[in-house]
Amino acid sequence: MAELSSLTDAGLVQRCRAGDDEAWNALVERFSRYVYAISTQGFRLSGPDAEDVFQEVFTRVYTRLHTLRNDAAIRPWIAQLTRRVCIDTVAARKREQPTGEPIGEEVEDVLQELDEAFAVREALAGLPDHCQEMLDRFFTRDESYRTISSELDLPMGTIASRIARCLTRLRDTLEGRSSPSEGSRE
Amino acid sequence: MGETNYLELRLGDVLARIAASDQSPGGGSAAALTVAVAAGLVAMVARCSHGSWSEGPGVAAQALAIQERVVPLADTDARAWDEALTALRNAGDTDSGGDFELERKLELAAAVPLEIAQLGADVAALAALAGERCEGAYHADAAAAAALAAGGARAAAHLVRANLAVRDGDERLRRAHVSEQAALDAAERALRLIR
Repeated sequence: MAELSSLTDAGLVQRCRAGDDEAWNALVERFSRYVYAISTQGFRLSGPDAEDVFQEVFTRVYTRLHTLRNDAAIRPWIAQLTRRVCIDTVAARKREQPTGEPIGEEVEDVLQELDEAFAVREALAGLPDHCQEMLDRFFTRDESYRTISSELDLPMGTIASRIARCLTRLRDTLEGRSSPSEGSRE
Repeated sequence: MGETNYLELRLGDVLARIAASDQSPGGGSAAALTVAVAAGLVAMVARCSHGSWSEGPGVAAQALAIQERVVPLADTDARAWDEALTALRNAGDTDSGGDFELERKLELAAAVPLEIAQLGADVAALAALAGERCEGAYHADAAAAAALAAGGARAAAHLVRANLAVRDGDERLRRAHVSEQAALDAAERALRLIR
């Protein structure tokens, strides 16, 4: 699995197309948080509904992967599938319990934020280990410069600069990333 | 006492709340907001120096991250202090949990300013860095940010020392002192650049 986790999205899709079961597991693992985040944060689906969406999305991915034209565009394709399944689920719930709340721009904003968050996460994974550690400690764990300095045995006066340099690398990675333009033939 | 999001209040309302006769929000909240203002100044200096300082955007991002952390502490401190005051008034009343409850409330009332002092030290460090690297026109703002952050850290450290639950030899005293001193040293460095 370690080898599969280092594959690009396109490489993983190719292995799935070749019928590699482990690659399928890796693909589900890679995108499960993404699908779950879209359904729970973007569409505010509760646990059982989010589980149903999860199952349905990955069933569709499995059965329709051959329709994906650009292997590198697997993420936006999965996002599109997830949105459709979520919209169907919300519509079904409304028929059962009409609430009058439309699926509006708010959802799109949340989905855009999620896309950005996952893009940052991917870019972060491509940075050197020391940068990943620095940024994680400061931005995720809210550690102070003193704590980071002490834990990593680095001079305290250099921590802010080191974090700034790692952020520059992260920005360069994000700006340099190619955005897959082709989705599926659906 | 309900939660207050200080970002949603008008500045006049914030100042009026601080000036009101209630004991909270008090010094801890004011210290948190001062550190937040200082962080905003650092972000401005770093952003304005982008053309000549490649690390500027990264420093601005750090300043804004700290600002996001410190603003809610203005409310957390006010609430913790409020609860500690209530517990102090009820001290000796066995129905209210007695000394144990009072001690617990005072512990929390000390933890918040300790965090504010630490964040103030970090903002002062960022301000000093910005002062050294930013474009000349912004040196004075960087120094002002460092002085404000150090003021906030010092005020917060003072509140840790004044807390009844904090006794001689307490680790929190040492940490508050370290943060305060680090902030003052950073401010001194930043101010020296404009003298």
